[in-house]
Amino acid sequence: MSSSPIADLSYRNYDGPLEPINHRWWSIAKSTMRLGFTNRFTWFFSFASGWYFYAMIFFIFIVDKVVESQPNPDAATAITSFFGSVRWNDKFLHGFQYGQFFYFVVAAILGSGAIANDVRANALLVYLSKPISKRDYVIGKWFGVFLPLLVIMGAPFLLFYLYGAMSFRDKGFISQDPWLFFRMLGLVTFCAGFYASLAMGISSMFSQGRSAGAVFAGLYFLTNFFTVPMSFGYMAMTGQQGRGRHRQEVAQSGLDALTYLSHASLDGINSALAKSVLGNPTTFPLAGNARGPVAGVPAPTIWFGLGIGLALVALCLYMAWRRVRAVDIVG
Amino acid sequence: MSVVEVKGLTVRYGSFTALDNLSVSIPSGSVGLLGPNGAGKTTLIKTILGFVTPASGSATVLGHDVATEDRLIRQKIGLMPEQDCHIPGMSAVQFVAYAGELAGVPPNNAIQRAHEVLEYCGLGEARYRKVETYSTGMKQRIKLAQAIVHGPKLLLLDEPTNGLDPAGRESMLDLIQSVTHEKGLNVLVSSHLLPDIERVCDEVVVVMGGKLVASGLIKDLKVIAGSPVDVELRETNDGFVKYLQDHGAGVEIRGPYSYRVQSTLSEAEKRLLVLAAARESQAQVRGLVLAERSLEEAFLTAVSGGGHQFEF
Repeated sequence: MSSSPIADLSYRNYDGPLEPINHRWWSIAKSTMRLGFTNRFTWFFSFASGWYFYAMIFFIFIVDKVVESQPNPDAATAITSFFGSVRWNDKFLHGFQYGQFFYFVVAAILGSGAIANDVRANALLVYLSKPISKRDYVIGKWFGVFLPLLVIMGAPFLLFYLYGAMSFRDKGFISQDPWLFFRMLGLVTFCAGFYASLAMGISSMFSQGRSAGAVFAGLYFLTNFFTVPMSFGYMAMTGQQGRGRHRQEVAQSGLDALTYLSHASLDGINSALAKSVLGNPTTFPLAGNARGPVAGVPAPTIWFGLGIGLALVALCLYMAWRRVRAVDIVG
Repeated sequence: MSVVEVKGLTVRYGSFTALDNLSVSIPSGSVGLLGPNGAGKTTLIKTILGFVTPASGSATVLGHDVATEDRLIRQKIGLMPEQDCHIPGMSAVQFVAYAGELAGVPPNNAIQRAHEVLEYCGLGEARYRKVETYSTGMKQRIKLAQAIVHGPKLLLLDEPTNGLDPAGRESMLDLIQSVTHEKGLNVLVSSHLLPDIERVCDEVVVVMGGKLVASGLIKDLKVIAGSPVDVELRETNDGFVKYLQDHGAGVEIRGPYSYRVQSTLSEAEKRLLVLAAARESQAQVRGLVLAERSLEEAFLTAVSGGGHQFEF
């Protein structure tokens, strides 16, 4: 008897079943996801990305319990009036905005090496010598980054939504904006596609995943650093509450320019779109229903976020498409 | 039966013509693809894989047209590339199973098949190690494993012994020999190492300047015109040489005791003449064989313009 667990060690031809030739991209997507989640940082940042939603669930749960425990819940106190003035869309908007950094990190971990590491290890030889087309490869890799991002972004919002829908329907959770679920679904789908495309496009330009990740991070942080003074500039021009110039006194064109420039970053594009879809926030994050000390930067037109976002997505996918060339892989 | 049929194929990269009206029929079995650098070997492989669009001509691989059925062709082909290649972050068994999935093998079958081919390729003990940690010899083996996991009908081997030490080279050639001659897989081996080709292939195709310069059975390519015989004596014997020359034979002294005898006689008559010369000169014959060129000599003759077409 053979000592090997496989008794017959001779080569045999494979004549078993084969998957349809048009489904091969899904194998690539599955493998990309599987490899991405072998990194423990992916798990950490994935869970961390929903921190605002978890915090809000906890906060609202406590408020709800406190209100219930009041001897007279109908008495108008700060805490009992919370649900009367809550704007649910703001909660989702803030959760989405606070998750942006984490979405970027997860996209960088999952996507930066998606093509670059394959180039480094000559893995394209393995892919393209099989019955895989360039389209299968690019689509498979893209979905391998996009689907995890979609789940990572969607799960906390869905959790919060279900909590709200089950517990606070009588407090306007559904009636305030019946389309909230679909708005959020659209937003996270766009955002996941946006980051997946960026990561893929940048990855295709390098032969080292770390180099691609560094460039992706540089792009994220540099644009972010640029938008911070723009936002402060906007807030300074519109004036702080109680002092300063009135908004109408400021040249409208300058404000418009700052509105756009304040969103000229990777997460700014998503943020602009979110504000356009969910409405400009009227409350300050993590402060119940209190208004902020200064007016936030409102959304530019919806076409700003959508246009630039889609243009970047198209550009990045084109870059990835161009860089993956079967003819280079032999010889 | 041919596995690859190429008819009047011309492939151009800009103004450079890589394949120039090439027509060749690559038979089933084990075939070597020979040619100097820039001869068009790689372009021919790219064409077979369906990666380049010919300017003119046509090619079929296993009955499929390369212009329209490239994915079907790659379904039936396994490529063992020259360069190291792997999927980063995967163990050997994951890598080979994944290669099987890419070729359409369902996941459960792919993992079972991966174990089988890794055992077959001698990597059973190292199957759970990351491929990045493999030695050069192991990387060569895993490239072969990923190429055969889906049961291809035609295996393309590009410099299969590249970078291997002598023992590793022998082992790899044994493996290729076993796949080709014991398991009936069709193989096209592209290599600069003629001894490797000679060891594992029965036939060769020689291309140069994008054109076919020779093709046929290796044993036919090695035949020398006039069928001379090589004789080895126990010791130098001038009388032996003189006898042969007196009887109209040409004698080339190839070593201290080695002679190549050429004449217009038939091979059997030449052998009898050699034996007669030995008897007359009291020479002791240690060896008497039909002389043949080395594959290297045959290759150099072919690429220097003296090649000829052999019919399969």
